[in-house]
Amino acid sequence: MKTGKKYFKSPYIKGNENYLHNEFSEKLPLDSFIDEQKTNDNNTSRRDFLKFLGFSTAAAVLSSCEAPVRKSIPYLNKPEEIIPGVANYYASTYFQENVFANILVKTREGRPISVSTNKEFEKNINCVGGLNSRGYASVLSLYDSNRLKFPLKNNKEISWSNLDNEIITSLNQLLKTNKKITFLTSTIISPTFQEIISKFSEKYKNFEVVYFDPISKSGILEANKECFGEAFIPTYRFDKAKVIVSFEADFLGNWLDSSHGKQYAKGRNPGKNMSKHYQFESLLSLTGSNADKRVPLNPDQQFNYMLYIFGKLQASKNLIQISNQNHKLILDQICQELVENKGASLIVSGSSDVKNQLVVNAINYLLDNYSTTIDYNRKSNLYSSINSDFENFIEDVTNNKVGAIIINDLNIVYNYPSFKDQLKNIDLKISFSESLDETASLMDFVCAKSHYLESWGDANPYTGVYTLQQPTINPIFNTRESETNLLRWMNISQGFFNYLKSSFSKQALDKSWNKTLHDGYCFQNFEEKDYIFSSSVAKEIINNYSSELKSSIEDTFLILYSKTSMGEGKQSNNPWLQELPDPISKVTWDNYLTISPFYAKKLGLKNWHVANGGLNGDIVNLTNGNKVLQVPIYIQPGQHDNTFGLAFGYGKEKGGKVANGVGVNAFEFFKDLQFVQKNGFSIEKIKGIEHEFACTQNSHTMMGRSIVKETTLKEYLKNPKSGNKDFKLESYKGKVSPNELSLYEEHEPAVHFWNMSIDLNKCNGCGACVIACHAENNVPVVGKEEVRKNRDMHWLRIDRYYSSDMNKDLANEQGIGAIEMYKLMEEPSSSENLEVVFQPVMCQHCNNAPCENVCPVAATTHSKEGLNQMTYNRCIGTRYCLNNCPYKVRRFNWFNYKDNDNFDYNMNDDLGKMVLNPDVTVRARGVMEKCSMCIQNIQKTKLDAKKEGRKVRDGEVNCACETACDTGAIVFGDALDTNSRISKEKKHPRTYALLEELNTQPSVFYKTKVRNKQKIS
Amino acid sequence: MYRSPVREPLITGKKDLHDITEDIARPIETKANKWWWSLFIFSVIAMIWGFGCIAYTIGTGIGVWGLNNTVGWAWDITNFVWWVGIGHAGTLISAVLLLFRQKWRLSINRTSEAMTIFAVVQAGLFPLIHMGRIWMGYWIFPLPNQFGPLWVNFNSPLLWDVFAISTYFSVSLVFWYMGLIPDFAMIRDRAVKPIAKKVYTILSFGWSGRAKHWQRHEVMSLVLAGLCTPLVLSVHSIVSMDFATSVIPGWHTTIFPPYFVAGAIFGGFAMCQTLLLVARKVVSLEDYITMKHIEYMNIIILVTGSIVGCAYITELFIAWYSGVEFEQYAFLNRATGPYWWAYWAMMTCNVISPQLMWFKKLRRNILFTFIIALFVHIGMWFERFVIIVTSLHRDFLPSSWSMFSPSFVDIGIFVGTCGFFLVLFLLYARTFPVIAQAELKTIVKTSSSKYNKNKNE
Repeated sequence: MKTGKKYFKSPYIKGNENYLHNEFSEKLPLDSFIDEQKTNDNNTSRRDFLKFLGFSTAAAVLSSCEAPVRKSIPYLNKPEEIIPGVANYYASTYFQENVFANILVKTREGRPISVSTNKEFEKNINCVGGLNSRGYASVLSLYDSNRLKFPLKNNKEISWSNLDNEIITSLNQLLKTNKKITFLTSTIISPTFQEIISKFSEKYKNFEVVYFDPISKSGILEANKECFGEAFIPTYRFDKAKVIVSFEADFLGNWLDSSHGKQYAKGRNPGKNMSKHYQFESLLSLTGSNADKRVPLNPDQQFNYMLYIFGKLQASKNLIQISNQNHKLILDQICQELVENKGASLIVSGSSDVKNQLVVNAINYLLDNYSTTIDYNRKSNLYSSINSDFENFIEDVTNNKVGAIIINDLNIVYNYPSFKDQLKNIDLKISFSESLDETASLMDFVCAKSHYLESWGDANPYTGVYTLQQPTINPIFNTRESETNLLRWMNISQGFFNYLKSSFSKQALDKSWNKTLHDGYCFQNFEEKDYIFSSSVAKEIINNYSSELKSSIEDTFLILYSKTSMGEGKQSNNPWLQELPDPISKVTWDNYLTISPFYAKKLGLKNWHVANGGLNGDIVNLTNGNKVLQVPIYIQPGQHDNTFGLAFGYGKEKGGKVANGVGVNAFEFFKDLQFVQKNGFSIEKIKGIEHEFACTQNSHTMMGRSIVKETTLKEYLKNPKSGNKDFKLESYKGKVSPNELSLYEEHEPAVHFWNMSIDLNKCNGCGACVIACHAENNVPVVGKEEVRKNRDMHWLRIDRYYSSDMNKDLANEQGIGAIEMYKLMEEPSSSENLEVVFQPVMCQHCNNAPCENVCPVAATTHSKEGLNQMTYNRCIGTRYCLNNCPYKVRRFNWFNYKDNDNFDYNMNDDLGKMVLNPDVTVRARGVMEKCSMCIQNIQKTKLDAKKEGRKVRDGEVNCACETACDTGAIVFGDALDTNSRISKEKKHPRTYALLEELNTQPSVFYKTKVRNKQKIS
Repeated sequence: MYRSPVREPLITGKKDLHDITEDIARPIETKANKWWWSLFIFSVIAMIWGFGCIAYTIGTGIGVWGLNNTVGWAWDITNFVWWVGIGHAGTLISAVLLLFRQKWRLSINRTSEAMTIFAVVQAGLFPLIHMGRIWMGYWIFPLPNQFGPLWVNFNSPLLWDVFAISTYFSVSLVFWYMGLIPDFAMIRDRAVKPIAKKVYTILSFGWSGRAKHWQRHEVMSLVLAGLCTPLVLSVHSIVSMDFATSVIPGWHTTIFPPYFVAGAIFGGFAMCQTLLLVARKVVSLEDYITMKHIEYMNIIILVTGSIVGCAYITELFIAWYSGVEFEQYAFLNRATGPYWWAYWAMMTCNVISPQLMWFKKLRRNILFTFIIALFVHIGMWFERFVIIVTSLHRDFLPSSWSMFSPSFVDIGIFVGTCGFFLVLFLLYARTFPVIAQAELKTIVKTSSSKYNKNKNE
């Protein structure tokens, strides 16, 4: 509609008629809608009037139906630093289950919505800490409606002041008796907290601190005490090691430090300096899956093999007999390589047994690894619990010597079930807990503990490293930091924040508080000194263990392990983690007894698939003494014949809606706090019942297809394209590459061309990226039943393939027919030969996308920047795109996952919804979704660059998975920028496209897996 | 009755024109018997159950079906293709046989066209309800809209389906109705009850039986027959392109269009056979649907069944000959994988069972014919199931291989459409002239039949 006069909105417009048009690269299609000729006339025609009337009525009607409107209320007084729509980042510290990370917390409108490792911190210090999948998921635990909302006395609400008064009175009464006040805590790395504790012990004389980590590294601490005279844990440098020999140490999973995966990856660049990794283990671990050579071995034999290496390195004549000739050859080769790489090798053991750690120390000492690959000056403070201390404490409790117990951040009744009966021996029981778990529900007082994202704190995780933890949200509930409790009970009225600030100046000396708070960390100087390896240790080993441990075929071993997703189970009420598949078994929402194919056959136990593809398994009675658990069995290829595995972290009774009733509690069998239980347990099949598993992957081999391309280092050094032969199709033109036969016009990316490269040599399959993707993209949790039906919603999955002993050449050679060959190909290799590969698969953003062609409503289309885009609003849910996707990465909203009574957590309650990323649509029922390459981040970065009038810098745009992948396996960037990392990756001889014969022209490509192996004759 | 010296008569029972009128009008003018009622009630219950399942699906989500991330279509599209296939024989009988001047079609064309329309109604349900957001379903039509520059995707075979099915449905409906007009007029003229009279008056569009009306009627029939003939080929060709244009091994096959058309005729004739065998018994039309008709249809079933069998074997051959490992595995997996039973059910029912029709004795045996027709229904349903589910469940990456098993809703909806189909058909049988009597009368040679009658007396 037009009036006669024309007003200018700004002086720019006058004389610059194109000004307005520059706003949009393309003209808005208004002209076709409004007849320009007529609008320029001084009146609105009747037709136009009717058009406007019709349009506005239709628009009003349409906008009023569909989605319900949720009102948002604007700030009355807007905080200065918060701009709605713009994220704020705060540096902080994560420390849980002995995993440390310096983190960046992303907040939107005052809500923390995701965490990631602080890359600045990582740049400044080599290889310490880092978030794992549990760390990435921890942001969801903040919004867990199962958290304690106020302090409790005898499970009833009490105010903080009353609680303080009552506890102070009780503690003072206890002072008069001889009984101890025990502070039972998991490892504390906060120097300020430790200072408060020592102050507390000054006030309450009979106070003692007992450290207890459910999964401790007591063995290493004690061994080091014996070897070096001091119980410490050194930091390891897997990046400096050229030969890595690991005995049961799952260092890429949960062994010691979350930085090991990152370090390990640094040594895995194919080339002359690529490390060589041997793994001896009983269960198939994440680390074993990545090894160049993996030998399944039971724990007793592992010790023998260690001794063999030790003896051989010392050139001892009295060597242990290795009966398996093949293994002997491997060991001899290892010894030779170790000697060749003196000072650049690393032997580690995951055993909780001190004697194993002693031998490992002795070998490392012999190889001069201390001060090169093992740094005993920069110590790790992440583990301080020593088993004997805890055992003494238990004895004290039994003898009625403990009057009060204050439990900090520990679910002791769950982690040490027999403690439940001993609680009656203690008069005053206090717990600092985030939820009313198995322990807290038995306490006299429960001090509701704040989540770490609501708390102040500091940390000294390693020698010379100081980091700060800051709250990124006001406490959601009436909760306090643990430290505040102790301060109050000492009648110190100073708030913990002020206390921390004053303590900071003592800790960090000359550093500025503001800068440290901003950066999240600062470094301190520390003294370096040489430790002397006690010579008696080697002698002791020779004297005590010169004869091998006899193990017969009848011996069985129950090995208690922890999954990367669940750890010791502190976050078991986190649905993201429950739904994260175990990297090896791909089972979600469960723990189970892993059993070797050999033993399964022996006991007549089975796993089988039912009509809908779901996996079922037999259930056994696992008996150890008077403890009996009903556990489903999972037959695990690659596992040593006589070993059984059971994961910690499950079987909660009071874990919350998510955790309760999932799996069984492996801590019931944690006798003597040893991970390995030899003999003494029995397994008996229960007839007539079966267990339903929820697996995300039900076929386990590549069926002879070229999916993960693989080569050996030797071949690679000869020819970098080995294992990655260009695919050629026979055609009338002769042999051509598939894209020469394409009927399609190619998309020409205009400004950017977003590509991703995934290095299969660096990806270790840990799954942190899957959780980071969950958090970034509001991926819903669907629950066990749905996962079982193969309806998981993960935008990014990690495929795990086992090798098979059958291949096409072998079949030809032996005259095996195709039907029989494919049957055999489905079977994983025997345990000795099993190799495992991992492949993260997300939407490949094909440039000839099969999904785009088939959508009848054009809901999935190609962007000018090479992305395959999904328009949720336009999708009508025919699922044709899903069917036609060769990679099967599309995910359909089978139900309304955001408001579903079946899953009243995460997205389905008001608190859980606070974790949602406001930049990403929550998808409705009936639409298809998939990886978008974090388009919201791309857009934001582009806008930032535009505002600043510059080009987008390489590495500036990050996908959530790339950020989460600390091994650097994922590289994302603009392939049109010839200097970018991705352009270089694209030209790399190892680079290939998945299923390139289909000529889908993916924007995601993979780099061949190179194993550092050669045939051992 | 005129008797050809070499051909069997197409109408038996010494009918004259009035006899035909009486026979055709009888079901409409008399009350239904017990058989009709019991079958009707049974079908209505099945239909209501099916509609309940559809409502549950729409209200809760597609998740109530047995589908998953790997198998995105299963019973829904299987049923869709099955019903579309059944809806194929009608046009073939009425249009193609009309152009070829096959008079034997006259007794069966009305019912087969009705079957076509009712089957296409069932078929059309599935593409609608399989959508995740059926309430946005109108977006598949190229409607001018206010959503910005949004338009349908003409590359998508699903869109071609929309056009193909809707064209086929509308042309078939018009063609069918054209033929019905003179017959409705006949019933109108005989009607005594006022409401019936009124209704049939409206339905017969003022037909007066004038020569001009007849002339236009015949021209129109020919024109529509000409229009329908390409549709016989196009509909199922296009349906087959849903699969043929994709990349999935087992779907990506150029043989699909002819193979699907042959399969559709095969399945359609079997359904026609089933319905007619029941109808001729229940409504006493033995004189009009004679053994000769049944035999002709059996021959068509035999021929198209053999074409389908050849197609199956060609597919296997090409999979082997192509040298593509995915293709080879897909076909081996069909025959020997977890769904081997579906493949062999298809093979037995579609390839082996019709071959028995080579024996004249068997193809003229009503019970045997009926059983074989049922076998063909089962076989053709499994053919679509095999193509859809066994191709999808194990495609390129073994990591996403999966299985499918139907939920009670999947089964309920299928049973419901069978019920719905029968309800429509049973209502049709009692309210519509089930044989195109006006046309049929053209092959009754009254004078000679009188002559014969006299001679015999």
